[in-house]
Amino acid sequence: MSGNTRSRRTVRLLSLTAAGALAFAACTNTGGEDGSGSDTTAAAGEGDAQVVREPTEEPTGTGCTIDSYGNGNVEGVPLAEATVGFSQSEPDTAAFRAAETKSIKDEAKNIGVAELIVTNANGELPKQISDIQDMLNQGVDYLVVAPVNSDGLDPALDAAREKGVPVLTIDRKVTNEHCTDYISFLGSDFYQQGTRAADAMNEVTGGEANVAILRGSSGNNVTEERNAGFVEHAEAEYPGLKIVAEQTANFARDEGQAVTEQLLQSNPEIDAIYAHNDEMGLGAMTAISAAGRAPGQDVKIVSIDGTRNAVQAIVDGRYNVVIESNPRFGPLAFQTLQRFIDGESIREDIVIEDGMYDSSNAEADLSKAF
Amino acid sequence: MADHRAPVREHADGAADVTAADGADGRRSWRRFDIQWIRRNGVYVALAALIMVNIVITPNFVNVATLRLQLIQVVPVLIVALGMAVVIATKGIDLSVGAVMALAAAVIPLYIGYGAALAILVALLAGALSGAVAGSLVARIGVQPIVATLGLMVAGRGLANLLGGEIKSIRDPGMRALGTGSVLGVPYVVLVAIVVTVLVWFLVARTTLGRQIVAIGGNARASVLAGLPVGRVLLTAYVVCALLAAVAGVLLTARSQASDPTRLGLLMELSAITAVVIGGTPLTGGQIRVAGTVAGALLLQLITATMIAHDIPDSVAQMAQAVIVVGAVYLQLGRRGRR
Repeated sequence: MSGNTRSRRTVRLLSLTAAGALAFAACTNTGGEDGSGSDTTAAAGEGDAQVVREPTEEPTGTGCTIDSYGNGNVEGVPLAEATVGFSQSEPDTAAFRAAETKSIKDEAKNIGVAELIVTNANGELPKQISDIQDMLNQGVDYLVVAPVNSDGLDPALDAAREKGVPVLTIDRKVTNEHCTDYISFLGSDFYQQGTRAADAMNEVTGGEANVAILRGSSGNNVTEERNAGFVEHAEAEYPGLKIVAEQTANFARDEGQAVTEQLLQSNPEIDAIYAHNDEMGLGAMTAISAAGRAPGQDVKIVSIDGTRNAVQAIVDGRYNVVIESNPRFGPLAFQTLQRFIDGESIREDIVIEDGMYDSSNAEADLSKAF
Repeated sequence: MADHRAPVREHADGAADVTAADGADGRRSWRRFDIQWIRRNGVYVALAALIMVNIVITPNFVNVATLRLQLIQVVPVLIVALGMAVVIATKGIDLSVGAVMALAAAVIPLYIGYGAALAILVALLAGALSGAVAGSLVARIGVQPIVATLGLMVAGRGLANLLGGEIKSIRDPGMRALGTGSVLGVPYVVLVAIVVTVLVWFLVARTTLGRQIVAIGGNARASVLAGLPVGRVLLTAYVVCALLAAVAGVLLTARSQASDPTRLGLLMELSAITAVVIGGTPLTGGQIRVAGTVAGALLLQLITATMIAHDIPDSVAQMAQAVIVVGAVYLQLGRRGRR
């Protein structure tokens, strides 16, 4: 709760005066592999695999084929004989990342990839670059990368291109050149998640509400797009949804709780919370209870992700809507690689159709939550 | 008697300052005196000023619920900062407090099946044990405090992740009561903080151990020569600090009804050190200010609350906070004559 909110803020300002301070923070990122690679039976894991949203208009630019990719030196080793490297961005202690990593591992096993190497950058760009370079040195034939950041992976992507190793990016798009630096981007449309959250908010509040937004980490494209989608859509379509506060809670449950407590105290008219992820929404739920109001009733909560805890809270009647952001990239990622190897043309963006949980389906679909 | 030493020193520093700048201008020296007073009480002045500002500009600020919320939210930083102040008084530092909080949080779900009391006890023991390791490294092996506790900060967080992993909800009536309950309108977590504050004050102001802590921080060599049990005192200081960090970890876990070893206490060491320093305890050791530390923690809390109440964007909030805290620390530097 408050500790972390303040800690976060304090360190930023302390770093102004003490440059070394951030080094300590970096040292705390010790999350890593979950080490449980034993579930050989599960095909795609529990829950639904991803469904691709067909583009409504012809995709701009040309697709990418194995012959036109990179420096034109891709061998095209069959997956059954290939070593595939997966560079995960953030620690698997987050439910989304755990589900994503598990899905990649399970599917690799399922379709019989010869070898899968998994690394975790713990949220640090330099570590991801060296992870990828290490895997290239170990002789991987394909790379699946969940980028830490949209920018700055150039040294790693350059090295992969030199070696003729194609790169498939998932869940975050890089700013590099399509078909030169990566085959395709697989992921959700975060802006659209935001607009759908606005639709859901309009629905559950009956169109009249004072909304407080719990923002994710600053300087993160997920935060910016989920926010812009909601704010712009609400402004254009739902004049009754008044956005009265926008505060960061860094995607964390405790900060979501602390910030919501402060918001409800200083602004009691707030009767709806839009959180950029489930964890902050769950924190808000605790804060609303502590303030003596009923979460899901007196104060509505809409968030994005699809974690089990949040969906369970909908079942319990203490939460309103969760817009899903499907982390199960395994099947789609390997299917896309296979199509690429087969010589098909792959388009730049492969956008996933995300689901949604509300009171009508939360109970039935609880098993799909991650 | 730490609190008796401080004013004496300040007076000496202040007098020197005044003489140096005095010259012929009497009015100027009077203003100097005024600044000295502000420096000595900087944190209280800043806190009072911020409270006044909030009374004027913040809606719903003047009511019991606001007071209650700020007190609840300040508890973790306050408790950790008090432990940190004890270690800093020995001329040490403890960077592992955040990791110890996480460790305590990680332990709770493992033992909650045996009841909240036992789970909390084990969590506190885990914290004390970590403090004993840190204290031994510093006191027996002679590792520099910043290095010893940096190592524990990394190892402790790793162990917490290993034991706990991802965030787990805790549905235990005992923990829930601790986190959300109150007696006569005073939340339990605030009561715990009050008890801790009184105990720490008693330790430093009324016990031999407290005097030894300050003496060692003031001059370790002289303390050894005087026959003080330096090793034992240092060990105790680190155990106290880690134990209090574990208390904070337990209270935060109870409040959020979830154990989150990955994130809990991240960067707490820096908040705690900030609260201690702006509260007037110098990082150079030999002094400890309990009341100042409490005020320092409250000031940090109120800054955060003010930013949120006025919906100030993160980027602006960071800079505003930097100005306020750097200003407060600058005033505190004055007290030590900026050597």
